[in-house]
Amino acid sequence: MPNLFTLVLQIAVVLAVCRLVGELFRKIHQPRVVGEMFAGIMLGPSLLGWLAPHFSSYLFPASSLGFLNALSQVGVVVFMFLVGLGINPRELKKQGHAAVLTSHVSITAPFVLAAFLSLYLYPRLSDDSVAFTNFALFMGAAMSITAFPVLARILAERNMLGSRLGTVAIACAAVDDVTGWCILAYIVVLIRSAHSSTSIWTTIGGIVVFGLVMIYGVRRLLRGYERVYKEKGELSENLMALMLLLVLVSALCTEYLGIHLLFGAFLMGAIMPKQRHFVRYVLDRFETITVTLLLPLFFAFTGLRTNIGLVKGPEMWMYCGLIILVATVGKLGGSTLASWLTGMPLREAAGLGTLMNTRGLMELVILNIGLDIGVISPALFSMMVIMALFTTFMTTPILALICPKEFLAREPEKVVARPATPPISLHDGESQVA
Amino acid sequence: MSHTSRNFVVAYVLLVGLPLLGLAGVLRTGRTLVAPISVDGVWKIEADASRLSGGSCGKTLASLSNTSVGISQSGKSLVLTFNNPSKTVASGALEGKSLKASIVPARDSSSDCSADQSLALTATVDPKSEPRSLTGVLLVSGCSSCAPVEFHATREPRSSAGGAH
Repeated sequence: MPNLFTLVLQIAVVLAVCRLVGELFRKIHQPRVVGEMFAGIMLGPSLLGWLAPHFSSYLFPASSLGFLNALSQVGVVVFMFLVGLGINPRELKKQGHAAVLTSHVSITAPFVLAAFLSLYLYPRLSDDSVAFTNFALFMGAAMSITAFPVLARILAERNMLGSRLGTVAIACAAVDDVTGWCILAYIVVLIRSAHSSTSIWTTIGGIVVFGLVMIYGVRRLLRGYERVYKEKGELSENLMALMLLLVLVSALCTEYLGIHLLFGAFLMGAIMPKQRHFVRYVLDRFETITVTLLLPLFFAFTGLRTNIGLVKGPEMWMYCGLIILVATVGKLGGSTLASWLTGMPLREAAGLGTLMNTRGLMELVILNIGLDIGVISPALFSMMVIMALFTTFMTTPILALICPKEFLAREPEKVVARPATPPISLHDGESQVA
Repeated sequence: MSHTSRNFVVAYVLLVGLPLLGLAGVLRTGRTLVAPISVDGVWKIEADASRLSGGSCGKTLASLSNTSVGISQSGKSLVLTFNNPSKTVASGALEGKSLKASIVPARDSSSDCSADQSLALTATVDPKSEPRSLTGVLLVSGCSSCAPVEFHATREPRSSAGGAH
């Protein structure tokens, strides 16, 4: 049984620190979520454990972390459902060939560069229990991800959601996330099947059947939700509970099949009806508890696993710098180049590249999976967390530099219709899903 | 095929297709790379009990020798966390099959080591044994009269689905 006093104390401290640091970051024009990510790191061995080791071990005793992790994982399961719900890859089709090319280059450029970097990092930061292929594919997937929700939040704050830049960015990020998660699922299957008695083909077969059932069977049934919402303007508590149950069952199925809980939750969100008001309604129902209570616990748990002290010495910091450089050149440079080559003005193309370089919470989710399955080492995990923080933090100031509000105001002809699917957490500009 | 479509196909091949070919080449090249031996995990230490009694740092050596140690590995860099009462943490390095770590004993009233004494752990990994094993010695640096304690350790089976780290 968990020590309830310790658990409640942990939750209280995490909430207080996350809100406080999040608010401070808002003062410097950063999304609150960036501050919350920093708060998580501050509560871990990198700062609190370093400055006050006794207090840190009193507040976060090793024996209690399992319960904190379990709570935070429930939050991430619901969050991934919300991310899937907010994503609508059909948006990409509306943007034409240019957006398709930009989206695909924004995945392949960082992916391939990360694989090249893996040639250098693998003998230095990995060990012989990890196959190079798994290592390189994971690094590629981790570097090519874009934090779709935090990107949407930045666009909303800058009133750019309706601009050409905004709609292309949202569409590309949606495709990037779906692709990134598919690649990650493949890597998880590869690694887990190596430690399991079940054949990899049985696992892949199971996943394909599950995916087909979800897309062609469950998806049709889910349209009933949209119908009820259209008729009554709301969903009953029983229907909301059933929706949550479906998310959990889907998550359990993918976990049982050998990938991860989060894939099932994400898939359930992705196949939900995409009518704008319906999506907004569901997001509103689930978001508050997930965002204000459970996600900060995930940030804290990630922070407790991140030890910047492991990145010691000039050599290790050079590796960390290389990771940040490659991730930025691949994502920002690749997206900028592709969109510029397809006719977007250079300044706008650079703005798009900057937005695509936002990794946020999605990166932390992927990195935690990588650490759990043993494909990355603790030091590499810490370096990648630093990279995620750095690339997310740099987005807002660089975007303000490249695309100041006056620039957007001079480009009215580029304004297009709002995306059909509203991204997560955009109401009143206050919420903070990353 | 229209001019625009042809341009799109050419751009797609150059910007997406060619890099993917490069990726295939990287994955093929990378298979020949050799990473450090994996020592990550929890190891059960079995020491020569007859050598543990008495002497400087005897109690500290005993507490480190009859316990388990968790090794967190990042390439050649290691962090060792002993499961003794004071949860001693040490940093170490791996060179080929050779593992070296320096241990600073707790500086409190329970310690029987003097302020200038530290402990050194050296061991050799047997990568062919299953489960993987370590054979080595724990010795007190700066104490010529202190006999080194030989130990043997075996890695405990991993509980997580993925394995390492």
